[in-house]
Amino acid sequence: MGRKPKKNDSLPGSLDMLILRALSLRDLHGYGIVQFIQQSSGNELLIEEGSLYPALQRLELNGWIQGAWGVTPNNRRARIYRITAAGRKQLEVETRKYAKLTLAIERVMGMA
Amino acid sequence: MESSRRSDALREEMELHLAEKAAELEAEGMTPERARSEARRRFGNVGLKYEESREIWMTRFWSELAQDVRYGCRTMASNKAFSALAILSLALGIGANTAIYSLMESILFRSLPVADPESLAVLNWRSHPPQNANKEWVHVVHRIQGRFWPGDKGALVTGIFPYAAFETLREENNVFSTLFGYFIGPKRTVAIHGQATVASVQFVTGEYFRGLGVSPAAGRLIDSEDDRPGAEPVAVLSFAASQNRFGGPSNAIRQSILVDNIPFTVVGVAPPEFFGVDPAVSPELYLPLHTNLLVDGAEAAEMYGDPNFYWLEMMGRLRPGVSMEQAQAVLAPRFHQWVATTAKTDGERAKLPALILNPGAGGLGSLRRQYSKPLYVLMAMVALILAVTCANIANLLLARAAARRREIAVRLSLGAGRLRIVRQLLTESVLLALLGGALGVVFAIWGVQSLTFLFSNGQESFTLRAELNWNVLAVTAALSVVSGLLFGLAPAIQVTRPDVMPALKYGRVSGSRSRLQPVLVVAQIAMSFVILVAAGLFVRTLNKLQSVQLGYGRENILLFSLNARQAGHRAPEITTFYADLRKRLETIPGVSSATFSHSSILKAGHAGATYRGTMKIGAVTIEGAGVISAGPRFLTTMQIPILAGREIDERDQSGSPPVAVVSERLARTYFGNENPIGRRITLVDIKRDVEIVGVSGNVRYGDLKEAGYPMTVFVAARQFSPDQVTYALRTAGDPLSYVRSVTEIVREADSRIPVTNVVTQAAEIDRTINRETVFAKLSTGFAVLALLIACVGLYGITSYNVARQAGEIGIRMALGAQRGAVVRMVLRRVLILAAAGLAISVPGALTASQLVKSFLFETQPNDPGTLALAGVILVSAAILAGYVPARRASRIDPVAALRNE
Repeated sequence: MGRKPKKNDSLPGSLDMLILRALSLRDLHGYGIVQFIQQSSGNELLIEEGSLYPALQRLELNGWIQGAWGVTPNNRRARIYRITAAGRKQLEVETRKYAKLTLAIERVMGMA
Repeated sequence: MESSRRSDALREEMELHLAEKAAELEAEGMTPERARSEARRRFGNVGLKYEESREIWMTRFWSELAQDVRYGCRTMASNKAFSALAILSLALGIGANTAIYSLMESILFRSLPVADPESLAVLNWRSHPPQNANKEWVHVVHRIQGRFWPGDKGALVTGIFPYAAFETLREENNVFSTLFGYFIGPKRTVAIHGQATVASVQFVTGEYFRGLGVSPAAGRLIDSEDDRPGAEPVAVLSFAASQNRFGGPSNAIRQSILVDNIPFTVVGVAPPEFFGVDPAVSPELYLPLHTNLLVDGAEAAEMYGDPNFYWLEMMGRLRPGVSMEQAQAVLAPRFHQWVATTAKTDGERAKLPALILNPGAGGLGSLRRQYSKPLYVLMAMVALILAVTCANIANLLLARAAARRREIAVRLSLGAGRLRIVRQLLTESVLLALLGGALGVVFAIWGVQSLTFLFSNGQESFTLRAELNWNVLAVTAALSVVSGLLFGLAPAIQVTRPDVMPALKYGRVSGSRSRLQPVLVVAQIAMSFVILVAAGLFVRTLNKLQSVQLGYGRENILLFSLNARQAGHRAPEITTFYADLRKRLETIPGVSSATFSHSSILKAGHAGATYRGTMKIGAVTIEGAGVISAGPRFLTTMQIPILAGREIDERDQSGSPPVAVVSERLARTYFGNENPIGRRITLVDIKRDVEIVGVSGNVRYGDLKEAGYPMTVFVAARQFSPDQVTYALRTAGDPLSYVRSVTEIVREADSRIPVTNVVTQAAEIDRTINRETVFAKLSTGFAVLALLIACVGLYGITSYNVARQAGEIGIRMALGAQRGAVVRMVLRRVLILAAAGLAISVPGALTASQLVKSFLFETQPNDPGTLALAGVILVSAAILAGYVPARRASRIDPVAALRNE
């Protein structure tokens, strides 16, 4: 199809990748994703929470995730996101890119 | 829709997020307010993020649309023949529909351009037929001036009432805020600045303009003060008349005009959009009702006094809050009570008229009655055309989509969303449809003009104002978009079906054979057949009408009418005037003979004053004979053979013994083999005997479509002093080239008399079969169009199948199949499709043809000849369409075909 998906060209720690990663483990709603990222990073990664929503729209439009109305663990109505097959592929691509990038940085820093 | 749903969802998500965050912070020990503000702080700028999110899919939507449109344009440009065909056929379909709808809109649905048209009610009445079993007239209606039309169950319906009924109902004013009356009689001679023309004039009661809520464009309108015997005679002009005759509304005020030689003063001009209450007639002049006493004299005086003389039409404006039903419930008993007092015998009392109220918003229904059925028939035909067109485009798109199957399969497998591809394909078809629609508007504008022209066909008073307007354009636009979606959706869904793998594997045109395509082609064939049958029936009807034996000449005859009475001539001088004029017209070089009669033969049954009462020969009543008052040399001029005796000539003057010429049929029926010359016919109603002096050939009296009177009695016009006459001139060469000499001679004789209804005999005859001609022409055009489109579809599917089976055909040929056998194999499939289409549509065509029964003349709706002919044409066209690809199949090179496999 025509246009390439919008690149998430921020540095490692890319929000898109983190979201995809979170959803690859289980289906979550917006706030659930934030909680997951914070908890699994040991509260090291503090994302600007509002940025989550443009990112979710972008991922959904690219066909990587799919939102549907459902119920949160707290029994509240929310859009629950699920990763698609294309999303898993994208996660692989981004993970590989990230690995390469961090490896390169580590080499420069003489850590590897 | 989609966009607002998304926005709502987004807002809800964000609010939920903030609420959950705040709840969590609160659980950690923050006060509620602090928790809320902290949640907001960590979230960032809520509004900004919201906008950012929205923008992502909004820009995406538009950019994708632009991309789809670009892509669609590119595909169209690379497939010029396909696109041109699709757009053209759609444009024709949409154009034809729009044109017909415009006409329907202006005739059937448009409201009168007056204040609050919805509260207007037209007063009508219905009754059992006035004739009793012995065909004698038994009814409270003794005299009429106006029209009846057939209601349901053989009833008679009309809108004319006696003046006394109007006065009675006007007093019953608790349902109507105003009740007003009007009538349009024959055309009048109107002289302005010494220039005489004929004009339609509406006589209106004083409440007319007030009741309709019309305000003047200049001066004032007629009011109650003007409408009483002896009032100053005033007139209101239509806006168009004020411009044509005076150069503008303000110039017309206080000008003096002559109506049938009686002076009137123009006091006002009606607004430009106002055309009276009947869309069929636009009066040029409005006069107070009681001024007909001045114009028509003693005759008019009888109209007011006689409660059995029906002539005045009425409309009322309902009081606010009063419904049509309530008004009817009040007025009907009141009218019944009144009309019962006018019945003089038990026979009359047995079938009194019953009052009915009809909605008056659309004005009087004469145009609707005349045109609604033909228009619905045309509408049905063009709707079928559009359906054929859409099926065809769907088919073309299917074939193309099949060809693009592989490309689409690749894209699907690369992760493109199915919806996205469907949307793109739909964009393409809607694009096609919109282009077709835009071109269709052009066709429609042209179509409305030619349809109006076709329908009016020279009628002087044709006042149809059909034009494209916003309603019509909206319908067209909707039509194009809907048809675009309709024919685009099926192929789009079909090619994006999830089982993309076969398409990827067998990359050729192949894949599963489309089940939809043959269905569409069969449907096209079926619909084309229905249109073909309709066209066949209409053409046959026209042929029948054209071959009607008239019994009189058609070519080289010029007709025109004069009304000397309206210019002030009176009996007995008027007969001398007409007779002298005839002699002078005969002196025009190139005119071999001239004559006159009370009307042309075609209109003899309806127009002009002649004898309509009972005729007897001795004690025997003559049944079903028409009378024509003819001047000298009528039979010669009209080329009616004189079988015995003589025709009416100069000898038959007002003082001489009254004479008649009868047609052969009448002579045979009532005199057998005896010689009718010298026998007498008694005109019972006027107590006069006429002597038969000649026998003529049989003449088709009256309209071609009506049975007409098979028997005719010609009486001498000079012995019956008609008010209005129609002259007929037998000319050498084009009759219309004599018009100038004619008008000159008439002007010399009396410049106050306008020459009207100038027409050749041939054109007048053609006019009476105008509707049939229009139907035959249009339906033939439609049938050709539908057939062409269906053949394109058939050709397309056959070519596609041949291409798909190239390998198989190659093998057959390699195994020794003859070319003829291949051609037959391909054609067999074509014929199966055609046969299936025919089988489906024969019952449909039979039903449909019953609906047009009333449009046919001496042709049965299930006419086997027409059905057979339509079938043969269809099958031949199908074979022709199939033959080209069949031939191509037979030329397939087995080696090349197998190598490709």
